Amino acid sequence: MKKTYSVLKRYGVALLSCAFLSTALFAAEETAPGVTGASEEEFTPAKEVLTIKYVDVGKPYHMDVETLKGFFNDAKGVTVQLQKQDKAFPNGGGSVSSAEVKAIHDGLVAYFKVTWSDPTKNARAIAVQEFRDAVALMFPLGAVEITPAEHFSPRMGDREKPTNLWHWKADWESDLLVKGELEDVEAQYPNMHDDFNLNPYSAYYHRELITSVEVLSGGRAANNLLSQPARGRTVEDLNAEGFGTLTTQAHQDVNGCSKYEDGVWTVIIYRSLITEDPHDVQFVPGGTSYFNMAVWNGGEQDRNGQKNISIQWHPVTLERVAWQ
Amino acid sequence: MTLVHNWHLGRRMEYPYFESRPKHQFAAIFNINRCIACQTCTMACKSAWTYNKGQEHMWWNNVETKPYGGYPQSWDVKTLKLIDNGENTWYTDEKDEKLSPYGVYEGDTIFEAAAKKNINQWAVGYIPEDKEWRSPNFGEDVAKSNKPDEYSSLPEHSRWFFYIQRLCNHCTYPGCLAACPRKAIYKRKEDGIVLIDQKRCRGYRKCVEQCPYKKPMYRGLTRVSEKCIACYPRIEGKDPLTKGRPMETRCMAACVGQIRLQGFLDDNPKNPVTWLIRHDKLALPLYPQFGTEPNIYYIPPRWAPRAYLRQMFGPGVDEAIDKFMVPSRERLAVMSLFRMTQTIIYEYKIEEGPKVFETTIHGKKFELYNDTVIGLGEDGQEVVRTTVEEPVYIRDPKHYNSI
Repeated sequence: MKKTYSVLKRYGVALLSCAFLSTALFAAEETAPGVTGASEEEFTPAKEVLTIKYVDVGKPYHMDVETLKGFFNDAKGVTVQLQKQDKAFPNGGGSVSSAEVKAIHDGLVAYFKVTWSDPTKNARAIAVQEFRDAVALMFPLGAVEITPAEHFSPRMGDREKPTNLWHWKADWESDLLVKGELEDVEAQYPNMHDDFNLNPYSAYYHRELITSVEVLSGGRAANNLLSQPARGRTVEDLNAEGFGTLTTQAHQDVNGCSKYEDGVWTVIIYRSLITEDPHDVQFVPGGTSYFNMAVWNGGEQDRNGQKNISIQWHPVTLERVAWQ
Repeated sequence: MTLVHNWHLGRRMEYPYFESRPKHQFAAIFNINRCIACQTCTMACKSAWTYNKGQEHMWWNNVETKPYGGYPQSWDVKTLKLIDNGENTWYTDEKDEKLSPYGVYEGDTIFEAAAKKNINQWAVGYIPEDKEWRSPNFGEDVAKSNKPDEYSSLPEHSRWFFYIQRLCNHCTYPGCLAACPRKAIYKRKEDGIVLIDQKRCRGYRKCVEQCPYKKPMYRGLTRVSEKCIACYPRIEGKDPLTKGRPMETRCMAACVGQIRLQGFLDDNPKNPVTWLIRHDKLALPLYPQFGTEPNIYYIPPRWAPRAYLRQMFGPGVDEAIDKFMVPSRERLAVMSLFRMTQTIIYEYKIEEGPKVFETTIHGKKFELYNDTVIGLGEDGQEVVRTTVEEPVYIRDPKHYNSI
């Protein structure tokens, strides 16, 4: 160590400039710090095409899995192989190996049904060590042709190659059942002491304190959608162009419903075929686009880059509407 | 990874971002010897920032008892275990005043341990579970003793405990900032304060996991993480009391025991904080081996076993305690500035006074001069003036027993 130290001391500047140089060289190869290069096969889309089949859904009274699942009977599913995310730090995932995707539309709305097996249901993220189950669908924005010659990263897109993501969260579904509010901390800690609810005179004596709840709830004051009560939806509409760029859209258009039974999650995510938002993917009859997906297993502490991903785009095409 | 210089470790180390030091770094010095664990700082912080719902477990400032206390429980031991490679030693034969004032650390930092273990994360860490955050004063006032019937004797106690005052270290190389995959955490260029962007945070808890000091905390109510904000509105001089001058944080200003001095680490040798840390080396960083270059500095307790203190504050402990026990003339003057004003002091001046006392401490000659020390604010104007000897006021006999 003594030797190393004196070498460092003597040639420190030279070593440092070498370090700068090598970092610069690496930077040319990497897309972001901690990200290693992608293989060529990632830029070749899968052969199997997911057809968004036309089905007359009518006007379902309840938008839930029980009501909607029957409409998917004739739709042909695509099985998406999932694997550990091993390119960008932090790496993780690998506990879910595949998911099945089926899709239908009724001329107005597209419905995507995703099923995967997960032995544990994690539908709350209030305790510090608890993480939610989640699934996300991703679409490239705009009309794109994805070929090995035309690189478009299947891992959250790339610079100048934006994607639109629909992120369903199990805990948002729980939130929705609490009269459209957030599940409160009492749901996790039923007998906790709370200065705000237990004091019978709190509204009278502590008006300032009560009204400051919003102000001192950083996430709410900053208008972070994750912190907002009364979101009214279970799916977040986002954009990304590469790792670490995930951004919530100002206008939320996607919704969904789910059911957990016998160790299997069934999640249906739906959105209008066409929206007015330029940051949304649009579905045109007969048109072809691509999708990719990821699944988070909360029981395995999956979140952010620690997820089960597919490393290939899958073509998706919208069946023409049979007008009668 | 890039190579950055960490002067606590006396060497370069790997970090995901380039070295980028602020002009003035938020810093503070805590004199452990004087702390009585009254928790006034803790409550000052709580009542300012974390009294709200979902923050019940949050103590951005806390005072814990060593060796048994810890908030969250055993946070330091658990992280020390993660970086332990059997060779976490210091090479202290060669030192450089500027680059390696304490010698060179030969072990692994949290970043290097992660790279060596190939865990594909920026730093090693763990997420303390909710039960570990629940009892912030667990182990309070519990002493460590080797023999049950042992009594303490000076100067070093065989039965001992001491208090450690903790808040976010606003590190130069923050583990939380490195860990965040979304870059939702940033370090301010103007004062080095580390903040979590509440809009960008998505509650992944990578910061909770990879901050070795466990100061970012997850808030279940808002589903995002929060941390100490160094009372930045006060630092920016927004409080009318100091007339636009930077003001110390709530926890510093509330300190009853007068153990705290807050300021900015900069290049000015006459800045009291810079002088005590960089020039006098009286105040030492907490667990420098983690490699984050923390910016809260401690004057180590003189009565606790040195081996324990060396693990906690690095190899500078012996020199710091020797200096504290027999303080020099300038050191005594600068230490008189602790808690004399809420306005942040940028520079000090000493006006020499008469010698009032002389003695021998542990075989060393000690002379007390009643110097006057003057603190200057950001604008160079005098903000405080005090003397080494506290003035004595004798009450008139006619007021005895009167109210």
